[in-house]
Amino acid sequence: MDAFLNSLASGLIVGSLYAIMAMGLTILYGVSHVFNFAHGHVAVVAAYLVWFAAVRLGLALPVGVAAALLVMVVLALATYWGAIRGLLRRSEWGFGTLLFTLGLAILAEYALLELFGPRVKSVPAVLPGSVRLWFGRLALNDLFLITASVVLMVLVGAFLKRTLTGQAMRAVAQSLPGAQVVGIDIDRIYGATFIFAFVMTGLSGVLLGTKTYMTPHIGWEWMIKGFVIVAFGGLGSVPGAIVAAFLLGVVEALVTLYLGAIWIWPAWLVTFIVALWLRPQGILGGRST
Amino acid sequence: MRGAGRRLMPLLRPRNLVLASVGALLVAWPYLGADRFVLHVAALTFVWAVVASYWNLTNGFAGITSLGNMGFFAIGAYTSAVLAKELDLTPWATMPVGALATMALVTVLVGLPVLRLRGIYIALLTLAFADALPSVITIFRAWTGGGIGLLGIPELLEDLEKWQAYYFALAFFAVAQAALVLVVRGAPGLAFVALRDSEPFAQALGVDRFKEGLRVFAISAFFTGFAGALYAHLLGQISPAMLGIEQFLMVISMWMLGGAGTLLGPVLGAAIITFGNEYLRVAGSLRLGLLGLAIVITVLFFPGGIMQLVGRARGFLTRPRRGGSDPDTVDGAALPVGSGSETGEGR
Amino acid sequence: MSVLEVSDLAKRFGSLEALRGVSFAVEEGEVFGIAGPNGAGKSVLFACIAGFYRPSSGSIRLDGEEIVGLGPHQICHRGLVRTFQTPALFHSLSIRENVLIGARFGGAKEDRVEDILRFLDLERVAERRAVNLDLFTTKRVVLAAALATGCRVLLLDEPMAGFSFGEVERYLDLVAEIRRTCGVTILIIEHLLDVLIGVSDRMMILHHGQVLFSGPPDEVRRHQGVVDVYLGGGTGG
Repeated sequence: MDAFLNSLASGLIVGSLYAIMAMGLTILYGVSHVFNFAHGHVAVVAAYLVWFAAVRLGLALPVGVAAALLVMVVLALATYWGAIRGLLRRSEWGFGTLLFTLGLAILAEYALLELFGPRVKSVPAVLPGSVRLWFGRLALNDLFLITASVVLMVLVGAFLKRTLTGQAMRAVAQSLPGAQVVGIDIDRIYGATFIFAFVMTGLSGVLLGTKTYMTPHIGWEWMIKGFVIVAFGGLGSVPGAIVAAFLLGVVEALVTLYLGAIWIWPAWLVTFIVALWLRPQGILGGRST
Repeated sequence: MRGAGRRLMPLLRPRNLVLASVGALLVAWPYLGADRFVLHVAALTFVWAVVASYWNLTNGFAGITSLGNMGFFAIGAYTSAVLAKELDLTPWATMPVGALATMALVTVLVGLPVLRLRGIYIALLTLAFADALPSVITIFRAWTGGGIGLLGIPELLEDLEKWQAYYFALAFFAVAQAALVLVVRGAPGLAFVALRDSEPFAQALGVDRFKEGLRVFAISAFFTGFAGALYAHLLGQISPAMLGIEQFLMVISMWMLGGAGTLLGPVLGAAIITFGNEYLRVAGSLRLGLLGLAIVITVLFFPGGIMQLVGRARGFLTRPRRGGSDPDTVDGAALPVGSGSETGEGR
Repeated sequence: MSVLEVSDLAKRFGSLEALRGVSFAVEEGEVFGIAGPNGAGKSVLFACIAGFYRPSSGSIRLDGEEIVGLGPHQICHRGLVRTFQTPALFHSLSIRENVLIGARFGGAKEDRVEDILRFLDLERVAERRAVNLDLFTTKRVVLAAALATGCRVLLLDEPMAGFSFGEVERYLDLVAEIRRTCGVTILIIEHLLDVLIGVSDRMMILHHGQVLFSGPPDEVRRHQGVVDVYLGGGTGG
C-alpha cells in the first residue's frame, strides 16, 4: 500500500512537471499552429544552462534560472523572427516548420554534446532534505516542485485571462482572420507566444532537471511525452493538457511499479491511440479545426 | 511506323539516355575496379535509397506526414531475421514474409487509426509508434537479443561476397524504383495530385482519400519492410540502434535534401548521405551537427532540395531556347517541399 | 419514383440555421432550378446533398436510398456529382488528366474521356495544363470531369457566374445538349432569375433556409413572396 501511495505521489509530481512542459507546447500550437519539434530540447538547454551556472560557476540557483530564462527569450525571438515567420508565409508551412524545428533540435543536441559531454547530469535540488508523512518520506524538493507547478498554472491562467497580450493570444487562437480584423498585430502576438512558450518550457526543463536525470539526448523523450500529453488533452487546450499530464504521470508511475520501466513507452502509446480513437479532439475538446 | 516512332521518341529523350547510362555504369561498377568497401557502401546506399524513396512517397507525394518509417524498416528486419534464425529458414523465404508482415502490421496498427487523423497528429502518432518499438524489442529479448541486438543472422548466400551483396541490393533497388514509378504515375499518384490541388473537387469526383492513403501506406510499408529484411541479411546483424534518432534523421534528410516530391531526389540524397556518413566516421558527433545544419539550411533556403537546384540549372540552360513556359524546369524549380508534384522530374 | 428526394432537411451551424425543413423531389431527366438571395442556403443545400456537410436532420434519398452519412466520394459512386461556385481545377495536371480523374475515380469507363472532350470542344486544348484558363474553358473542364464519372444527377452551383451574355447562351446550349444526349438530371443554382426560368422544368426559391416557392417556372413571377424578396425588380438583373 505504501509503495502504491508513494508511486501515486511521484506520479502526481512528475505529472505536474509534465503539465508545465506541455503548456508551452499546446499554447504555441494553439496560437500559431506551429508544432515545435525542438520543444524537448528547449527544456533541456535551459536545464543545462542552470546546471552550468549553479554547479560549474557556483552561482546562486535563482541567478542561474534568471540567466537561463533570458537566453530562452533571445532564442524565442531569434527562432520566430529569423525563421518561422518566413516559413509561415509558404504554402507548405506545416511541413516546413516541422522540419525546421526538427533540425533545430538536432543542432541543440549537438551543441549540448560538444559543450557539456554525454554524461548524465542533474540540476541541484531547490530544497534539500525531506519530511516524514504518514505513507513515507517526501522530499522537500518534491513539495517545492508541486507547489511551483500549481503556482505557475495559476499564473498562466491569469496571464491568459487578465493581460492584454494574453487576451490577444486567445483571440488569435480562436480566429486568425478575426484577430486581424480587430487590429491585432499578428507578428507581435506570435513573437510573444514564442517567448511565452520558450520560457515556460525552459522552466519545466529546469524543474524536471531537479527531479530526474538529463543527457543531451533526453530532449526527444521529453518532446514526445509533451506531445502525447498535448494530443491527449487536445492540441491547443491548456486545461486539457493539465488533466492529461496528471493522468499520464500517474499511469507512468503505476506502470513502472507493477510492470517495470520498460513498459512505459508501450503504455504511453496505447493510451495515446485509445485516446485518439475515443476523442480525436482530446479529452476536454480543443478547437475543431 | 509513325506511331511506333512517336512511341520510341520519348525513350530517347536526354533524361532517359542519362538514366540508362547511369544504370549501365552501376551494373558494370564491380568490374571497373571498385574496392570491397565502396561496394559495401554502395549496397547500403541502394537499401537506404529505397527506404528514402518510399518515405518520400507518403510524405512528398501523398502529403501524409509519416515519421514512423524507420519503424516499418525495423519490423521487416526483425521479423525476417528472427524467422530465419529461430526456424532455420532461408532468407529468400523470410524476406517476403517480413515485408508482408510489415505491411499487415503497419496497415492495421498505424494506417487505420492514423489516416482518419490529419496533419500533425499523423506525424506524432507515427513517431510514437516507431519510438515504442525499442521497448517491444527489449520485451521480446529472448528472440530479438534486446538492446545488444541480433547477431549471426543467416546471410543471403553462404559466405556472401561484397560484390554479390552489391548486385542483390541493386536488383532490389531497381524493382522497388520501378514499382514506385508505377504508383506515382498510376492511379494513387494521380489521386494525390488531385487531392493536393483541390481536395473538394477531387472528392466530388469520387476520389477516396482514406482508401488511397491506406494503399500508399501499405505499399510504402511493404517496400520499407523488405528493405529492412534485406539489410538484416546483408549485414548479418541488427540492433535497436536502427530506431535511434540519428538513423531517423539521416534517412529523413536523404529525401529532404534530395528533393521531396521527386523521384530522383531521394536516391541522390541517399547516395550523398550514406557515402558522406561512411567517410566522415572519424568526425564522430560532428556528423550530427552537420546533419542538423543541412536540414535547417535546406528548409530555409532551398526547400526543393538538390532537385530544385538541378531544375534551376536546367531552367537556366534551356530557357533562352525553349522559352519560360516549360513546365519541366521552371515550375519544377519553384516547388516547395512536400508539394509532391513530379514536375521536377519532367512530366 | 423520384431520382432525388429531399425531405425535411435542416442544417445548423451553432445557432445559425442555414436550412430549415427543406423538402423537394426531382424527377428523372429534369432540369431543376434553384434560386434565392445571398445566404438563402443554396450552396449549403448542395453541400448536404453531395455529402460535404452532414445535415442536422432530415433525409436525402437517391433512387430511393438514403444517402445521408455517406462521404462525397461514395455519393459520387452512386451517381451524383456536384460542382463548385468557384472552381478549382487540378492545376498541376493537363485538361485531359483532369477529366481522367473523374472517369478513373468516379467509377466509369476511361474510354468515354475522348468522347466527352470532343463533346465539350476541349479536344484541341486537352494537353494544356489546367492553369490560367479562361472562365468558360474552366467551366467546361468542370462539366467534362463531372460527366466523365458517368453520373446521372449533376448539381451545378452558379455555373454561369461571371459569364458574358454570349457565354451564358452557349453554356445553356451545352446544358440542354447534355440533358438530351446523356439523360442526366440537372439541379442548377443561379441567381439570374430570367436565365433560370428559361432553362428549368421546375423551380424552387429558397429564402432564409426555407422553401419560399416551388413549382413551374412561369408561376415564379406571379408568386407574391418571390416578388417581395426580389424587391419588385423581379428579374433579378
